[in-house]
Amino acid sequence: MPRGEIVIFDQHCKGCGYCAKFCARDCITHPSGRYSPQGYILPDFSAPDKCNACGICAWMCPDHAIDVYKLVEAEVAA
Amino acid sequence: MAVKKEKVAGGSDLWIRPEFAVIPSCPGCQEPVVGQLILEVVEEMGLDGEAIVVPGVGCTTFLPVIWNMDAVLTAHGRPCDVATAVKRVTKAPLVFTVQGDGDCFAIGAGPTVSAALRGENITVITMSNTNYGTTGGQMSPTTVTGQRTTTTPEGRGEMQGHPAHVPELLGGIKGVAYTARGAVNTPANLQKAKRYIKEAFQKQLDGAGFSLVEIIVACPPNWHYTPIDCLKFIDETLLAEFPLGEFKNVDRVEQPIPVPAQ
Repeated sequence: MPRGEIVIFDQHCKGCGYCAKFCARDCITHPSGRYSPQGYILPDFSAPDKCNACGICAWMCPDHAIDVYKLVEAEVAA
Repeated sequence: MAVKKEKVAGGSDLWIRPEFAVIPSCPGCQEPVVGQLILEVVEEMGLDGEAIVVPGVGCTTFLPVIWNMDAVLTAHGRPCDVATAVKRVTKAPLVFTVQGDGDCFAIGAGPTVSAALRGENITVITMSNTNYGTTGGQMSPTTVTGQRTTTTPEGRGEMQGHPAHVPELLGGIKGVAYTARGAVNTPANLQKAKRYIKEAFQKQLDGAGFSLVEIIVACPPNWHYTPIDCLKFIDETLLAEFPLGEFKNVDRVEQPIPVPAQ
């Protein structure tokens, strides 16, 4: 079960590739073949199963184009 | 079974980002990373709404103008002078400058050293990318030996002298409480740099004296490397020339400035 999830804002990304370089679990692929409207090479969140929400991709992202969410199991309201 | 999402990392709320304005920096520029660290430290110390930032002129000008924080824009090289005035007049708990290396060490060398000699209770955050990025990559005081810039096409050599080590230099001044140099090329160095910024701000809150933190950032367009190669250049060349760490850390300056009798 995945423990983390990242959201990449395509309109903010400038395609530097720091997120893919520093992801320790190879969850992010760069280049991915997608392009932003400005022509930057976008990364792709290609392996969501391996993400453990460490947050390093968001630390290293210069454009704050990544938000990292930790998935926790919540009690279902009765 | 329901799954709840908790945000653990991402942009600070102090960035003005109404989903939103793109950060005005070149691809791969690490100055917004340092800006994020500063905002995180300000939020952690509970100084949101009380801090005043004095940005210099250069690439760093574009960062504080998109922060949700009071700012005073200055002339080129004069943030330390203006921060001195702001600190003395407003008595704000946290007054800090955000400068580039050319702004702080070249044209602003006089104001920076003078503020350090006076032991002003301000903090200087300097982002060193070893060139003048805004104007096209000319040589700056921190350009390392052999580095090619627009004005040193053969590489910085004996005609241009040695690179400037300003935290070590200011560490010998009596009015200085804290100097350090950090980098953000790896997650470990990034966390250390955040600790240095926090320590420098704490020195100001304690009234210890002048504090300066220099942070080495990548500049892919003017170094003419890809962003990933820039990190390798920082690791192999810049960190060999500029060692990281704290160079002065005292709780109280040796000779506090005497207060004249009323």
